[in-house]
Amino acid sequence: MSYLSLDQVSKRFKDDIVLDRASLSIERGETVVVFGPSGCGKTVLLRLIAGINEPDAGQIRMGNRDVTYLEPEHRNIGMAFQNFALYPHLSAFDNIASPLKARGMKGGEIEGRVKEVAGLLKIDHVLHHLPKALSNGQKQRTSLGRALAANPGLLLLDDPLRNVDAKLRYEMRIELPRVLKAFETTVIYVTQDYKEAMALGDRVAVLMGGGFKQIDHPSVIYKDPDDLDVARLFGDPTVNVLDGRIADGAVELMGLRFALSGQFEPGPCRVALRPESIEVTLDDTAAGATAIDVGDSVRHGLEVELDAVTPLNVRAVMLLKTEDGRELLATCSEDEASRLPRGHKKVTAHIRASDLLFFTPSGARLRPRPS
Amino acid sequence: MQRQTTLGRIVRGTLLTLVGMFFLFPILWVFLMSFQTNQEILRIPPSIFFEPTLQNYHALISGRLETQTGTLEIRFMNNLMNSVILATSSVALSLLLGIPAAYAFARFKFRLGEDIAFTLLSFRFAPPLLVLLPLAIYFQQLGLINTYSGLIWVYQLITLPLILWIVRGYFEDISEDIEHAYRIDGNGWFKTFTHIAIPLAKPGIAAATLLSFIFAWNNFVFALILASADKQPVTVGALAFVTASGIQYGQIAASVVLSVTPTLALALYAQRYLVEGLSLGAVKG
Amino acid sequence: MATEAMTGAVMDGSKRPLMRQVLPYLLSLPALLVCIGILIPFGTAIYYSLQRYNLAFPMTRGFIWFDNYTMLFTDPSFWHTVRVSLLYTLYTVGFELLLGLGIALLLQRRTLFNNIMSILLLLPLMIAPAIASLMWRLMTNPNFGVLSYLAGMVGFTDFRWASAPSSALFTVVLIDIWVYTPFMMVLLLAGLRALPRQPFEAAELDGVPQTFVFFRITLPMLTPYIITASLFRMLESIQQFDIIYAMTQGGPGNTLMVFQVTAYLERYQYTNVGRSAAILMVLWAITFILSNIFIKQWLRLREKARGIA
Repeated sequence: MSYLSLDQVSKRFKDDIVLDRASLSIERGETVVVFGPSGCGKTVLLRLIAGINEPDAGQIRMGNRDVTYLEPEHRNIGMAFQNFALYPHLSAFDNIASPLKARGMKGGEIEGRVKEVAGLLKIDHVLHHLPKALSNGQKQRTSLGRALAANPGLLLLDDPLRNVDAKLRYEMRIELPRVLKAFETTVIYVTQDYKEAMALGDRVAVLMGGGFKQIDHPSVIYKDPDDLDVARLFGDPTVNVLDGRIADGAVELMGLRFALSGQFEPGPCRVALRPESIEVTLDDTAAGATAIDVGDSVRHGLEVELDAVTPLNVRAVMLLKTEDGRELLATCSEDEASRLPRGHKKVTAHIRASDLLFFTPSGARLRPRPS
Repeated sequence: MQRQTTLGRIVRGTLLTLVGMFFLFPILWVFLMSFQTNQEILRIPPSIFFEPTLQNYHALISGRLETQTGTLEIRFMNNLMNSVILATSSVALSLLLGIPAAYAFARFKFRLGEDIAFTLLSFRFAPPLLVLLPLAIYFQQLGLINTYSGLIWVYQLITLPLILWIVRGYFEDISEDIEHAYRIDGNGWFKTFTHIAIPLAKPGIAAATLLSFIFAWNNFVFALILASADKQPVTVGALAFVTASGIQYGQIAASVVLSVTPTLALALYAQRYLVEGLSLGAVKG
Repeated sequence: MATEAMTGAVMDGSKRPLMRQVLPYLLSLPALLVCIGILIPFGTAIYYSLQRYNLAFPMTRGFIWFDNYTMLFTDPSFWHTVRVSLLYTLYTVGFELLLGLGIALLLQRRTLFNNIMSILLLLPLMIAPAIASLMWRLMTNPNFGVLSYLAGMVGFTDFRWASAPSSALFTVVLIDIWVYTPFMMVLLLAGLRALPRQPFEAAELDGVPQTFVFFRITLPMLTPYIITASLFRMLESIQQFDIIYAMTQGGPGNTLMVFQVTAYLERYQYTNVGRSAAILMVLWAITFILSNIFIKQWLRLREKARGIA
C-alpha cells in the first residue's frame, strides 16, 4: 500500500478548473518532485494534501486512512512555504519549536531538538532573532527547520528556493538532498525549475493541464518523455521541435532521411531533438545529406550557419540556422565553443537517428509498434 | 515643498496662532475656571491671575455643596463612575463579540458575514433615536430600562461597528499562510486564532479599543433616553448638574474638566492610532 | 501521538467536518444577534410611524397608513425643521471643510511643531459634544462668559449668543465647528501627506506658481479625501442632537428644532409616538441615501489605503 495516494482529485476555484481527476501515489521514504509550469496547480495540490483546502471530488489517503477532509493539525505533516510564512512575532527558535510544542514536547527536549535541526541547517547563530532580522536565506532555512523539526511523516516543500537568490539556490540544491536524507522522510517537492527536479527527485511527477502527464524517474522523463509538452518543459535550453514525416521505415526531416529501427505508424509527425544531442563540427567534409554509420545508429551531417553562441553556466548554447531558415539550438562545452568560428560561419550539425523522439501532431508520444 | 519667504512665515505663524487660540483656548479657560471661586469667576474684566482653589473639586468629590440656601447633594462622582462602568464594559463586550466576528469576516468570505458587516455599518450612520425610541418601550417591558446591562447592550451600536471594521482590516492584512503553517504544526483553529491572529492584529485591536472607549464615553443620547439619574454617565449627568446647581459655575467647570480628562488623556496617549480609527481604516495615519 | 488520542472523533477524514462549515457562523453569531437587536426596533419604528399613537390618548391608537407622513408634509413647522437641519448641515460642513483644509495645508510639512500642533488640535474632537456645549454655555454666559465680554469689547454689548433667535444658529454652528473641524483637518492632513511627491517636485522645478499647483494638482488629488470626509460630516450634521439639545433644547422658541430634537420633543413632550417615528423615518431616508454614497467612497479609499500599506 502506498504511503500517500491521491485518487481522481479535482479542485476548481469559481470557473477555473485547477485539478481535474489527478492521481498520484507515493511510497514511504521517497522524494517526489511535482514539476510543472507556473499556475498549473502545484501549490493547490500541496494545499489539498496539507488540508488547507479541500478537494471538490476524489480521495486523499495516507496509508489505509482516508484523510480527504482531515484537519491539517491531525495530518502529521511539515510544510515549507514559498513565502516562508514565518511567525513574525516569534523568534527563529520559537518558529522552529512551534511544531514540537504542538506535539506536547517538554522544554529541554524542545531545546535540544531545535538546536540539532538548526545546526544541520547552519542557522544556530541566529536562533534568537525575529524573522524580520533574518536574511532571506536564513528565513528560508528557518522555514525548512520548522517543517522538519517534528520529523513529520510527510514533508511538503512548496518551491522553497523560489524566493532566494541564485547563489543560495545553487548551494541549497546541493545541500538539500543531504538534509532530506538525514531526516529519512517522505517528501513532496514542488518546483518549476527542472534542474531542481533532476537534482532532488527520486521520481518526478509532471503536472500540466490539471493532471499528471508523466510520473517517472527524472532521467526517464528527460530521455523518454510521454508527451511533447513534457519534453518541452523538461530541459534547458528547450528541446528542438521539428515537423517530419514517417514513411517506408524512415523519417524525413529537414530534407534528410533517417532510417528507423522500429516499426512506426506512417504519416506526419513532430520530432523532438535535445540540444546536446546535436554535435557541431567545423569540418565540412560531411556536408549535405551524408549518412555515416556509427555503431548502433546512423549519424547525419547537416550544413548549418552558426548564428550565435551564448555561454550558459559551464556550457554554451549555439543558435544554428538551417538553409531553409529553421532555427535549432545546440549545446557543447564552453571549451569546444571557444574553438568555433564567430560571425555566421558554416558548420556541420551532426544528428543521430537514435536521438530523435517522435510525437503525433497533437503531441502524444509515438513509439515503435511491438513486432 | 513650499518656498518659505519671511512674509510667508509671518502669515503662517499668525494663522496658526489664531487657529490654536480658537481650538485650545476654551479648554484652557474652563480648566482655569475650575480652580476659581464664584466671586473670582464673576469679576469683570476676567483675569488669568487668581488664587487657585481646589474647593470646586472638593465639593464634587465629597458630593456635598454648601450654598447660602443650604446643602446640595451632588451625584457627579456617581455619574463619573457610571461612565467608567458603561464605557469599559461596553468596550470589553464589544471586543469579546467583535474580534471573533471580525476574524470570521476577514477569513471566511461568506455572504451572511458581509451582510452583517454592512448592516452594522449602515446603522452606525442611521439616526440613533430611530432605534432608541421603540427600544425604550421594549426595555420597559423587558425590565432593562435604567440598567447597566441594558445600556451596555445598546452601547454595542457605537463600539461594535468600530471594532469590527478596524480589526477586520488588520486580520485581512495577516498572510493566511502564516495561519496555515501554524495549523500544520499541529494546532487547532482556536489556538491559531489566539496565538497567531490576535497577537498579529494587536495594533488594530489597541486602536479600536481606545477609540471605541472614547466614543462610548462621549455618548449622550443613549443614556438620556434609557437611564435615570442613578445610571447616567457624565455627559448626561453634567447637564443635569447644571440645571440643579444653577449658578455654581466653578463646580460646573470642575465637572467639565473631570468629564473630559479621561478621553483627552487617552487621545494624547494613543494619538498615533486616532487617524486610522477615526476614518475606520480608510486613511493610514 | 498525543493529539490523535485526544481527538479521536475528529480523525475520520472521509467526511466534511461539520465544524468547518458552521465555524464562520458561530464566530459571527454575536454580531448577528446585535444586528437582529437593531433590526427589530427599526421595524417597530416603521410600524409606529404608520399608526395614530399618542401615549396621552391610548384609546385613539390605530393604524392610519401614511397619514402621519401626509400630515408632516403639509405642516409648516415640519418644513421649518427640514430647513433648519439643512442650513445647519450646510454651514457646519462648509466651514469645517474650508477651515480644516486650510489648517491641513498649514500643517502639511512633517515638522515636530506641526505634528504636536496637529495632535493638540484633535483635542476638541475628543470632548463629548454635549460637554462641549456646556463649555460654550459657560463661555457665553452673559454675566461672566469670556466670549460675552469679548463681544462687548468689540461693540456687541448685548450679544446673547444662543439665547437670542437671531444668533442661536450661529452659536451652535460655531460649537459644531469647534468640535468637528479637527476631524476634517486630521483626515485631509493624512490625505495631503499620503499624496505622491513627484508632481509637486516637477512643478517646483518648472517654477509653477503655488496657486496653480494648489488648484490643479493638490485639490484634484485630494478630492477623494474631501468627498469622504464631507459625506461623513454631513451624515453626522444632519442628525446633530447632542450639541443643540445640550445648548438650547431646540430653542429659543423653535429656532433650532432640527430633525432629532423635534422627534425627541414630539415623543417626550407631546407623547406623540407615531408622529415622532414618522419624522425619524424621513431623516432615516435622507441618511440612508447619504450613507450609501459615503460607504462606497469610504470602501474605495480604504482599499487604496490598504494597497499603500
